[in-house]
Amino acid sequence: MTITILAFAQARSLFGFSTTTVSCDAADTPRTVVLRLVPTAELTALRAALDCEYVSWDSPLGDAKELAILPPVSGG
Amino acid sequence: METIITFTEAPIVIPPLNLPSREIGASLEFLGIVRELEKDSVLKGLNYEAYESMARRVLTRHFEELGSRHPCEQVLFIHRLGWVPVGEASLFVRVLSSHRQEAFLFLDALITRLKTDVPIWKSATAGP
Repeated sequence: MTITILAFAQARSLFGFSTTTVSCDAADTPRTVVLRLVPTAELTALRAALDCEYVSWDSPLGDAKELAILPPVSGG
Repeated sequence: METIITFTEAPIVIPPLNLPSREIGASLEFLGIVRELEKDSVLKGLNYEAYESMARRVLTRHFEELGSRHPCEQVLFIHRLGWVPVGEASLFVRVLSSHRQEAFLFLDALITRLKTDVPIWKSATAGP
């Protein structure tokens, strides 16, 4: 399977892309997928979302189509 | 409760007040305006971006949860994206309810939640 990864705001400059698509397995997690792309990535201050729902970095991807990397929000 | 969520790159134009029923007794409006000073830096404006599909989903959930605690008739939410110069509004929210207390509580809680988990970001790094 493949999953599209979206990086927003500061995450875009940290990871060097705004969107990319990678191969993965349903048992993969946001953490394993992102660390395969950027092994030195520091995820502590970032949140992950699968198909527009916040998840932990260690949640299985399942059949998700989209993984978002989200820095702390600052709307308003 | 009727909810309307709009993201726009154009300057926010406050919509005319159309009351959905004759039981509306309170109309509460909030404008978030870009300030010149941010952490001792003088800004010309802020650049806003959103993960719009997720922001709509998260906002809708907050509207439902807050509406069950503080019943309101209508919520109109407009957030500007892209470059917003100092002095212009980045956010407009209007809450209509039968009584003022529900509208005040709803709006206050909504703005707090907006700054907690709705995927919208501002940065001072990119001008027009």
